[in-house]
Amino acid sequence: MSRAEKLRRWLEKELGGNLISAETPFPGRLFIDLKREALTAAASGLMNQGARYQMGIGYDARKDGRGFGLVHTFAFDRDSLLVALRTFAPGDNPEFDSLTPFIPGAGWSEREYQDLLGLKFRNLSDRKRLVLSDDWPEGIYPLRREVPHDLMPPAAEEVAFRLEEAPPGTSIIPFGPFHASLHEPAHFSVYVDGEDIKGCEYRGFMTHRGIEKLAQTELTYNDVPFVAERICGICGSVHAVNYAQAVEAAAGISIPRRAEFIRMVALELERLHSHLLWLGVAGHLIGFDTVFMQAWRIREKIMWLAERLTGNRKTYGLVIIGGVRRDINRESSRDIRSTLEEVDREMQALEKAILKDRTIHRRTRGVGYLSKEETVKWNLVGPVARARGLKIDARRDHPYAAYDEVEFEVPVADSGDVWGTLVVRVKEVYEAIKIINQCLDRLEKLSKNEPLAVELEGPIPAGRQGLSLVEAPRGEAVHFVLTGNENRPERWRVRAPTYPNLQAVPSMLLNNKLADFPIIVGQIDPCISCTDRVLVVENRSGKARLLSRQELENISRAKRSGR
Amino acid sequence: MWLWNKIKQLAISFKAGVVTLRYPFEPRPAPEGFRGQPLWDHAKCIGCAGCASHCPARTIFLRDICQELRILLYDSSRCTYCGRCADLCPEKAITMSDRFELATDNRQDITQTIELFMMTCQRCGRCYDLEIKNYIDRLSALGYRYDCLEARKVIRRSTAEFSPDELEKTVTYERPGRLEK
Ligand code: SF4
Ligand code: SF4
Repeated sequence: MSRAEKLRRWLEKELGGNLISAETPFPGRLFIDLKREALTAAASGLMNQGARYQMGIGYDARKDGRGFGLVHTFAFDRDSLLVALRTFAPGDNPEFDSLTPFIPGAGWSEREYQDLLGLKFRNLSDRKRLVLSDDWPEGIYPLRREVPHDLMPPAAEEVAFRLEEAPPGTSIIPFGPFHASLHEPAHFSVYVDGEDIKGCEYRGFMTHRGIEKLAQTELTYNDVPFVAERICGICGSVHAVNYAQAVEAAAGISIPRRAEFIRMVALELERLHSHLLWLGVAGHLIGFDTVFMQAWRIREKIMWLAERLTGNRKTYGLVIIGGVRRDINRESSRDIRSTLEEVDREMQALEKAILKDRTIHRRTRGVGYLSKEETVKWNLVGPVARARGLKIDARRDHPYAAYDEVEFEVPVADSGDVWGTLVVRVKEVYEAIKIINQCLDRLEKLSKNEPLAVELEGPIPAGRQGLSLVEAPRGEAVHFVLTGNENRPERWRVRAPTYPNLQAVPSMLLNNKLADFPIIVGQIDPCISCTDRVLVVENRSGKARLLSRQELENISRAKRSGR
Repeated sequence: MWLWNKIKQLAISFKAGVVTLRYPFEPRPAPEGFRGQPLWDHAKCIGCAGCASHCPARTIFLRDICQELRILLYDSSRCTYCGRCADLCPEKAITMSDRFELATDNRQDITQTIELFMMTCQRCGRCYDLEIKNYIDRLSALGYRYDCLEARKVIRRSTAEFSPDELEKTVTYERPGRLEK
């Protein structure tokens, strides 16, 4: 019996009348509708069976008379199964049970919808604003249907961030919103005792661009990929492919084989240049600029290759719903092969020259340590999780496109520190090259006449759910699409890999030296803009508190006694 | 060990040498297939508005003047060079050029405008295309110029509604978190 079938039976038994429906519209997904009262029971049951929490999605369904919808998604990585729990609350009383008592990583999602939709969560310990700026008027919830996407309430003067006081015996060192070691705006107020970091408070969400709201009010299905790829400056195709996959899954469209392989080539090229970029940045952050210069020199070859392949230095403008827009013919495939050969050779030389260098070891080993238990608790993803002994990779666990037909390794390390993430990323560079070469082999064998994209037959039916995963260079990115009328999605939710990873940064920082702050934050390769993507508003300010002082102290104590 | 690594790093750096390009002192043409600034061919455009309603950045504007003149304005400042407009134009009036050096202090340098002489529909009063002619000749023959596009209009297909009461609230609300004096 498959896991989906087992889960369905278990839910029927456990929830009885509270279970409304459980469907598997396409393999690997289980969409469950339940009554509001049963949410906690179902979610904790899933967690007890080994699920990994992904994200929450809130949406406004008052138009159909269903009030507010809340979806929580969970992954069963061993069984290639994603589960979405959907509940509704009436429009005049949008209150749900919070999942934070047993899933701390759900806190951000819940606070996001507290801000954006005015949902209320029982037992949510931290009710501070997460996404909206401090001067945003109370009682206006930007993701609600009646609020236009370009609403701009007048800015308020004299509104200040309310950062916590430093715990006794420590003083505060502010990092950001603009800081030489942060490449995007974010604020860390770091508590230090001498040189040792004793905690930190994070405030982010300063780069809202209103992309999700735009998609549900202004754009059409095929406009969204071109906006989605601009969520991130590095992994553009990741978001475009991910969105397209979610819509295709919801609408039951299957795309040509050729398009699948071309998408994979684009995705892996992105992984290549992203990891090389990270290697360079990491070298720069620890003051080892030879790595920075040489890694970026190698990376530049890939950027130029992307320019020749897709018409843009970044792999932009490649994906539409139903396929891709540009072909990879024999000539460009030869071009890719010769470039990759060069990259491979130079990368190996660079690796040999630096991986044994004392400078790197001294600055990365034992720095930013996080135990495997903490990693699981905070639902970390990507190289950050793999460096902590967690073998999860969406390409292997939930194969999309044609990843089940190519061979590759999922490198893991168990040192749990910055060094581990470095090793994992360097190994993944070679795996990406391997995957691209296999894709090219397959592409060359496919008939040339196959179309690059399928013609859509008629409109995409409304009211269907699609859930898609793509393993971005930084970890798993999740997109949820609820199809709607008028040729545009009713709700589109993006969860970038930095969203869960950033939540664990305060734990990683604990008891490290202040000088290591940049590389510890840098190890997750934070992509602040992807994380902040959602909003509606002009960015003015944003405030988020990740851990209360008490929580921090608890973690800190636990760690001291644990190690 | 340490020294050996440093020697290897030196070797790599020397072998690569200086890779900085002499750009902009030496021109650097874009590769084939590059998507630069889209260019409009006035003679081919029939004013169907296909490009304007499918541009993901919504940076192509269309406006009808006096039921006879349709103005198409392309404002490059928000263009993402995705090439959707060129893909969708039924008359192939748009080509993606290889121009990429578009930095300017005058927005007019990167803006393109087409003025199309249309016919007025007797039923609905909206304008539609004449038979294919050379519009530019036609327009100048008429002595027509229209340079002020301040009142340009986006093609809006928004479903968002917003009541005046809600808007009122945003002006009069109590600001949270004021600094105590
Ligand atoms: S290239 Fe893309 S963004 Fe630019 S005008 Fe054409 S459709 Fe719009
Ligand atoms: S450029 Fe092409 S798509 Fe745009 S209005 Fe003219 S004919 Fe139509």
